[in-house]
Amino acid sequence: MSQQPVIIEGLEYRFGRRKALADIDLRIGTGEILGLVGPNGSGKTTLLKILAGLLRPSAGEVRVFGLDPFRDRARVMRRARFAFAPPPLFEGLTAHEHIAHLAGLGGQRPGRAAVTEALEVVGLADRAGDRVRTFSLGMRQRLTLAQALLPRPELLVLDEPTDGLDPLAVLELRGVLERLRDDHGVTILLASHLMVEVEELVDRILVLMDGRVEFCGAPQELMRKGERLRLAPATGNLEDFAAHLRAAGHGDARVDGESVLVAAGALDLESARELARAGDFGLAAFAIERPHLQAALLERQRQRLEVRRS
Amino acid sequence: MRLEFLRLWRARRPLVAAFSLLFFVALMLVGFYTYAQSKTGGHAEFRYTFENRSYFNGLTFALYTFYFGSLLVLPIFAATEGGAQIAGDTQSGAMKLLLTRPVERGGIFGGKILVAGIFSTLLVGFLLGLGLLCGLLAVGWGDLDLYPGVLQMTERHQHLPQEVALRRLALVWPAASLSLFVPLCMSFWISTWVRSPVNAVGTAVSLYLMMYVVSEIHFFQELRPWFFTSYMAYWRGLFQAEIDWAEVSQSALRLAGFGFAFLALAFRRFRRREEF
Repeated sequence: MSQQPVIIEGLEYRFGRRKALADIDLRIGTGEILGLVGPNGSGKTTLLKILAGLLRPSAGEVRVFGLDPFRDRARVMRRARFAFAPPPLFEGLTAHEHIAHLAGLGGQRPGRAAVTEALEVVGLADRAGDRVRTFSLGMRQRLTLAQALLPRPELLVLDEPTDGLDPLAVLELRGVLERLRDDHGVTILLASHLMVEVEELVDRILVLMDGRVEFCGAPQELMRKGERLRLAPATGNLEDFAAHLRAAGHGDARVDGESVLVAAGALDLESARELARAGDFGLAAFAIERPHLQAALLERQRQRLEVRRS
Repeated sequence: MRLEFLRLWRARRPLVAAFSLLFFVALMLVGFYTYAQSKTGGHAEFRYTFENRSYFNGLTFALYTFYFGSLLVLPIFAATEGGAQIAGDTQSGAMKLLLTRPVERGGIFGGKILVAGIFSTLLVGFLLGLGLLCGLLAVGWGDLDLYPGVLQMTERHQHLPQEVALRRLALVWPAASLSLFVPLCMSFWISTWVRSPVNAVGTAVSLYLMMYVVSEIHFFQELRPWFFTSYMAYWRGLFQAEIDWAEVSQSALRLAGFGFAFLALAFRRFRRREEF
């Protein structure tokens, strides 16, 4: 029976008195790509560092391949690779030396061909002999990814891997990750601010806000929750139309641009038309709007802030 | 360890250290020359030290240069190395890079202290060799005569033929390397607590200088046995006509004890600390 690579139960982490993470429960399946998203300070990097055995949980249990990552870090690292942001590198070494020496730590030193192949995958083969200190941010990101791929891990954890990459490089990275999952069954945990990339690539998404799990599931599910109905009156004032809808029991109706938004599923076309006619507005437009992941997340953040204020 | 050696070789630290020691030796040469000039009314014959009307030659110059250098200059480089290896790597993120590979913390720590120890030993040899070379070229070697004085090289006049003196100077290399090992270990220990290499090096150097001053002042003689700086110049005992091996060994063991105590504290901290 294959073990789930990552099991987290009741995880809590404190910086002094402040809870950076609380009540985190998560299981990542073999061969899954999980996206980890959230605003700055939500606890994403803290969670990754706990998985890497760099931080010790204040409470709860974390298991990577059945091992405690803080106590058995070296054993975990035989099967997992981590690439943090900003990319830490050995500045004085060449790209080839960097990969060769790192990959050889704690294991067998890879051959020249394997190192060259890793650099080719990330598009740095022609810079293999150059010192890392001469590299741009994008090149450093690529080198960090290359060192995480050699030798090929069972679990790959990437923190903001697309920072500094041009659109073509982002596309290439997506291809690499998909091939790793599809061809080799590698489990991937990907922390990113680039919502578009996460949306296209991941099987599931974990949203952290204020150190807690806000959402965990398929990205489509989150976007479906953010669906809205967009209504535009044929005549009359938008604010009056929104007030009319609120009076009819749709308390969340609000003006947005040149139309009014209400929760999806609240009205079908016929009942919307009836309601608009009853207020002498008429109905000029009726559309279901499904937001992109970024918009869905922003809306969720906005709602959370409103709850906090009230 | 290969990786650490390569990183050290590619870093500017060895070059900075080598040029600094070159400058120091040149400064010492100029110092002795100008002193001799003033004391001999313009006849710069290097015939007198400031301690006594003793015979001064290239071996004496090398010994005195090494004495000052090993107690006041080399510990700064030892502190710098300790700061760079742990705190420097922590601040740059290189420590995270090492810890995300399948290497035990003991392996990482051991590799770093070994490389730092070998580097310090090479610096000791470099300073010694440089002093001897400059002494040979500028003054010329000869027999070694030492007299009692403020530097406390000896309590009574010692005369060592050139060959014997050179053999004793060769013994100074491992002996002084052991001395330097202790401030290196102290620097490693401080470096495991402090994230900034500047603060780590500054703290280590300040502590060393404080302890050195205290151990040199007669007023604090009760405190001296507790400071490793009191034993760092133990290798002076190698320049007695008849070496008191028991005394030299005892001081060496004390220094080794201090060194390993600092190392144990450093490893204990390194093994348990979190990497933010």
